[in-house]
Amino acid sequence: MSKAAAAQQVDDWFARRAWKVFPFQRAVWKAAVAGESGLLHATTGSGKTFAVWFAALQRAMRTQKGRRKAGLRVLWITPMRALAADTLRALQESASELVPGWTVDARTGDTSSAARARQARHLPDTLITTPESLTLMLSKADAREQFNMLDMVIIDEWHELMGNKRGVQTQLALARLRQWNPALVVWGLSATLGNLERARHVLLGAEAGGVIVEGAIRKSLLVDTLIPENPSRFPWAGHLGIQMLQPVIEEIEQHATTLVFCNTRSQAELWYQHLLDARPDWAGIIALHHGSLDKEVRDWVELGLKKGQLKAVVCTSSLDLGVDFLPVERVLQIGSAKGIARLLQRAGRSGHAPGRVSRVTLVPTHTLELLEAAGAIQAVKDRDIEARPVAEKPLDVLVQHLVTIALGGGFRSEELLAEVRTAWSYRNLTDEEWQWALDFVARGGQSLTVYPEYRRVLPDEEGVYRVPDAAIGRRHRMGIGTIVSEAMIQVKYMSGGRLGTVEEGFISRLNKGDHFLFGGRILEFVRVHEMTAYVRRATGAKGAVPRWQGGKMPLSSELAHAALEQMRLATEGIYKGPEMRAIRPLLEVQQRWSSLPTPVSTVVESLHSREGHHLFIYPFAGRAVHIGLASLFAYRVGRARPTTFSIAVNDYGFELLAPESVAWPDVFSALEGRDVGLFSTEHLLEDVLASLNATELSQRRFREIARIAGLIFQGYPGQPKSNRQLQASSSLFFEVFRKHDAGNLLLTQAQREVLEQELELNRLRATLTELQSRRVSYHETARATPFGFALMVERFREKLTTEKLSDRVARVLRELEKAAGP
Amino acid sequence: MSALEIELAEERVLLLPQKALFWPRERMLLIADIHFGKAASFRALGIPVPRGTTTENLASLDALIAAYGVQHIVFLGDFLHAKAAHASSTLRAMLAWRARHLQLRLTLVRGNHDRHAGDPSEQLRIEMVDEPHTIGPFSFCHHPDLPAPGYVLAGHVHPVYRLSSGWESLRLPCFVFGERRAILPSFGAFTGGHVIAPLPGERIFVTAEELIFPIEIR
Repeated sequence: MSKAAAAQQVDDWFARRAWKVFPFQRAVWKAAVAGESGLLHATTGSGKTFAVWFAALQRAMRTQKGRRKAGLRVLWITPMRALAADTLRALQESASELVPGWTVDARTGDTSSAARARQARHLPDTLITTPESLTLMLSKADAREQFNMLDMVIIDEWHELMGNKRGVQTQLALARLRQWNPALVVWGLSATLGNLERARHVLLGAEAGGVIVEGAIRKSLLVDTLIPENPSRFPWAGHLGIQMLQPVIEEIEQHATTLVFCNTRSQAELWYQHLLDARPDWAGIIALHHGSLDKEVRDWVELGLKKGQLKAVVCTSSLDLGVDFLPVERVLQIGSAKGIARLLQRAGRSGHAPGRVSRVTLVPTHTLELLEAAGAIQAVKDRDIEARPVAEKPLDVLVQHLVTIALGGGFRSEELLAEVRTAWSYRNLTDEEWQWALDFVARGGQSLTVYPEYRRVLPDEEGVYRVPDAAIGRRHRMGIGTIVSEAMIQVKYMSGGRLGTVEEGFISRLNKGDHFLFGGRILEFVRVHEMTAYVRRATGAKGAVPRWQGGKMPLSSELAHAALEQMRLATEGIYKGPEMRAIRPLLEVQQRWSSLPTPVSTVVESLHSREGHHLFIYPFAGRAVHIGLASLFAYRVGRARPTTFSIAVNDYGFELLAPESVAWPDVFSALEGRDVGLFSTEHLLEDVLASLNATELSQRRFREIARIAGLIFQGYPGQPKSNRQLQASSSLFFEVFRKHDAGNLLLTQAQREVLEQELELNRLRATLTELQSRRVSYHETARATPFGFALMVERFREKLTTEKLSDRVARVLRELEKAAGP
Repeated sequence: MSALEIELAEERVLLLPQKALFWPRERMLLIADIHFGKAASFRALGIPVPRGTTTENLASLDALIAAYGVQHIVFLGDFLHAKAAHASSTLRAMLAWRARHLQLRLTLVRGNHDRHAGDPSEQLRIEMVDEPHTIGPFSFCHHPDLPAPGYVLAGHVHPVYRLSSGWESLRLPCFVFGERRAILPSFGAFTGGHVIAPLPGERIFVTAEELIFPIEIR
């Protein structure tokens, strides 16, 4: 079939449904049919899927001559298993109508072994799968034959993958597929990002071209805020929570279906519980959804959302991605959204029905979040969206890939090196790093040592590296992937029903009979047996809330700068919008007692209290950078005169508390930041490493690396560890490597990841440079300012239990209110 | 390195921060879960672990023998990790060590790993016994909860205590003393730990580098 005829058929197909073809869809079709690869960015629900899918079909229709040879033509990669089933339905109908006999199937970790076996004999024309399942296919000895008809690869939700190691794994898989078929057409789908050019490069390879197509329709988008009736002038994280419960209930009441996004799973559990306590009549029509709940529970909630049976769902990022739930009318965001991209993503979950507006409403839990809200609204208007950073040559992923390819037909060193370097993340991989990774899998460590008993990957007589031992191959396939989670324990009723999973660390702190909140229920802990915690329903009393790792994301620079800009306007007496008007009393006290941090001025406050000597600084750089800065300043000051500091941080600033007086006026005597020695970027790396317990941080980081590099065998899914001989923890590996193989590059990687990802060293450096460029506004205050108070509470939090916290907070509040006057 | 003296079954014993127990009257050193050859077993299964852990274990024993004038070492089980521990390189190092301590008496109470791995080479001249192995007031075992005539000194558990304050949390190898039995921390350089929750009435001593100290349990 000619190009024109194929295009005509597609147009007819749209016309039969009275659907309009958007110009951007046509642009993708034209480019793809001409053999070009590219990246399409557009909002969800705008027709992205059909843009790339009909491109694939048109390519298929063209090559269709008489009887087609069987084989896989189109690969559709999705980051979420749950999406696979819905994508399958969306693609199947059009495929069978336009290309008779064209088969579409899905394969994920959830696919039954029978279905897998069927697919292995006869792959469908289109396969929908995850990055992990694709890598697994590459590990099969006949991988190359399986892919020899492959014509096009589509990566869905690329923005979600590119920033993490799953994205790196995808890059390596694509490099392999392109090596086999240089004419392969690759298209990525992405939400709008601050670095789209980079996103295209990473997707299409270090040196490839490709086009960027922008989805033309921009759904109209509204961001607003539920303004608290009585925003306190002395805020602390979470203090507005309960005050906002009633307004939230009213919002839910007025709309068919509302999604209530929380930033952490614990927060979601609490809000769900509060909503139920306030509205017992909503039992059964409001639900909870987060990543630790059992899949069946989540499926039930998702189905209820699709059918419009649920009034509200309290959820976490677990519902950021995925199929569109048409009935969702309203999206509420509890607390800070932390970033513009995330806010847009969440807003996009509402208003899918034609003619509706996507709207997200911010619910502050902290008065200072009103500033963020005002900033966010402006940033959304200006389309000032965060960039996604991409990992640079993570060696753990490379080590895993080497074993995968050794299994999948084997490799020669120079050939695979050249191929790996076409993946963007490895474009700068050095010969030494390559040799190290190869030695690590082939010899078990340093190239000069001989371990006769070691064998994982070995070169055969022709220099082709293969895996000689079938058991090692089986274990490797079991461990493919880069998603690493804390050791999780299943939560089950004594009577047998599964509830979900919770971190081992939380369960280990519980005693028999303790109550805890999970999945919206209060449970009584009974016992742990073989990685399962047995519980029964408890009544009455409140329970502890499980704390899950990875809860606290730092505020993005884009959002922080937007908030600072709002304060600059405030210094000129300009308070735009209801958010700024609501926070005005707080900002006025802050100005009266000290001054406002702005893009041109850094506020530094010192204060003497019964607790000791406090220093507060507000760089607005996010909590991760503030931890780094606080430790760095404490280290630099302490070098001159040894002092012990307690540290408190939040997204806006940090506090250093010393028992004895520090000569802060001397340290901050300069009027310009560039004259303040503490802000220097000289010897930054050494100082940061010396100031923090970098070893301990790296050790934690090493958990993920050890698992990806195949040092830790996680056992077979759903079974207790069967291979007892292979039990060792990552911290054990960390210690042994440090003592006996200090040059191990995986250790170096752990340190780099700590610096880049946890401490955000680059952002820390950028923040210091900013501090140098700003004026210094130093104040000695008689009492804590509103900004300072928020930090003091953070510190109490770390020292005291909840009850004592609230008592103490209440007392300090009374004192401050009295001092501030009416 | 400072040891801590306590009284146990009316005997004076020293708890060593090196994760061992010394019984001065008998000049006896008790070592639990040393797991020789664990690294070699990992390598044989395709997991790269660097060389050096066997040497490190032997050097730690050397230091203790010299410091306390040890005449008898009783290993409380899991002396060898797995069959692969019989690998020639591991055995060679152990024989060289044995040759440096000809007079030293060695006893191994067989543990679960030893049963799978098989007895160590006879050239090492280790007296092999099954649990419980009773000397004086003590019954030496691998498994802690075996009925025994004396006060049980055992291993197997690799006990670790989680010491937390605020947001800080440390995992420290520990000794656990109950009314009828004590559990020693694992001695091996390549062995992990299992976090334990002390039972009422138990005493915990944690080891942290060169220190050992008691933990108050409320």
